[in-house]
Amino acid sequence: MENILHLPLFENKDLLFVISLIFGILIFATLLFFVVGKLKPKANLHELKTRTNSWWIMATLFVGTTMFNHIISYFAIGMLSFIAFRELYSILAFRESDRRAVFWAFVAIPIQYYLAYIGWYGAYIIFIPIVMFLFLPLRLVLKGDTAGIIRSMSVLHWVLMLTVFGLSHMAYLLSLPDLEGFANGGRGLLLFLVFLTEINDVMQFTWGKLLGKHKIIPKVSPNKTWEGFVGGLITTTAIGYFLGFLTPLSTVQVVLVSFMIAFSGFIGDIVMSSVKRDIGVKDTGSSIPGHGGILDRIDSLSYTAPIFFHLVYYMAY
Amino acid sequence: MQKLILQFLYSLLIRNFLKLFVGVKFQNAHFLIKEKQFIIVANHNSHLDTLTILASLPSKIILRVKPVAAQDHFGNTKFKEKLSNYFINTLLIQRKRDKENINNDPIHRMIKALDDGYSLILFPEGTRGAAEVQQPLKPGIGYVLSERPSVKYVPAFLRGMGKAMPKNDNLIVPHNSSLTYGVPTQIESTEVMEIVAQVERSINRLRDEL
Repeated sequence: MENILHLPLFENKDLLFVISLIFGILIFATLLFFVVGKLKPKANLHELKTRTNSWWIMATLFVGTTMFNHIISYFAIGMLSFIAFRELYSILAFRESDRRAVFWAFVAIPIQYYLAYIGWYGAYIIFIPIVMFLFLPLRLVLKGDTAGIIRSMSVLHWVLMLTVFGLSHMAYLLSLPDLEGFANGGRGLLLFLVFLTEINDVMQFTWGKLLGKHKIIPKVSPNKTWEGFVGGLITTTAIGYFLGFLTPLSTVQVVLVSFMIAFSGFIGDIVMSSVKRDIGVKDTGSSIPGHGGILDRIDSLSYTAPIFFHLVYYMAY
Repeated sequence: MQKLILQFLYSLLIRNFLKLFVGVKFQNAHFLIKEKQFIIVANHNSHLDTLTILASLPSKIILRVKPVAAQDHFGNTKFKEKLSNYFINTLLIQRKRDKENINNDPIHRMIKALDDGYSLILFPEGTRGAAEVQQPLKPGIGYVLSERPSVKYVPAFLRGMGKAMPKNDNLIVPHNSSLTYGVPTQIESTEVMEIVAQVERSINRLRDEL
């Protein structure tokens, strides 16, 4: 009983400060759009307001599920992988004969998160890149439908890598061993990663809207501009510098890691854009009002999570 | 008692299972409360279709809505028939018409259920087709509506269900899917084949809007 009521979060001033900052930004954005909407009734703020409302829900869900209970954190991030995997594979036109292999790919999700939970790094890091990589083609071969099998083999594993292996690095942050003199632990790292990734998305969007002129990769994503990209890089790196206390890294390392989050977040974003362009859809789903599907929101995370994790793992652990 | 069990089963358990696990996106079906009586007509690719439509209904009216199902599939034994009738609230009909024994005739049984005040869920394709493939409609819906022209039909379109659980496979593999309703509509003609064509157009329109 004592364990349940004991919430270490409220004793950690650093985490509490950043969480208050997140909700402070949301309150500010909500008030801003409300006031601008009153002053300039003609301004089209509907999409911004919908997006902000969705941010409220996402931020609350994220903080509620990852910052309190240890087991719930793994479960919640696992659910995120599950929903993202389901959303992405559903639009990729798999054959009916792929269903058994897809089923095993789903089974891999709880296994991967269990390995993260028990902190068995060696198994966790090879399970999807090696075990599932070798096993899924076998399951497809046993079914015997060879017309189009190469596509199924490659696409299925790619989806698994992106939505399960990549995102599960968020969960493994929580399994990293304690470092002496670093009290924020995995929660601090997770908060740093997610906050910077999402603020980078927002900043690239904002700078692009304010100053955007020169298209950066018009064939893939016509709305992305050099101004948005560079503005996001600078802002995110600066914010990362000030939030360095969440990590066990030195100042130089924090700046490097923040820069890499901003850079790889952009890559994840345009990779998913190119996939959507190939299929001919605008969004991968419609589960988050104003944002599209889950994947439209976490496409950058699927790139930033593994890169951030391995940088930190190399430099501090 | 049956009402409570069905409400618990569909509006709570199955609805959340479909939403969270399978990945079904439900459209709000609250507008059905205002309709006195209706026939939901939908495309058919999966056993999940019936469960999805039942789970989408406002729980208040769940006992008033009977899915029409094939006797030879859902009621081939007495035990199975009892289970279907209790837990899926089915109206079991045979596939072939029977002019001699009117109580066995599928059209007559549907009309009788309407006269008893029930609404129906009908899959006019008659059987589940291959995933995401629509078959031509059977004329039964036309016969029923031409006899009871005041009853409105509600077109519904189910997308992706045949991928989550296709015919000939009992393994459910999650797949994002959706259920979309059209507006309740009155038939424009009492000619059987014209009614069938109208219903088919309504379902296709829903599909094309997605």
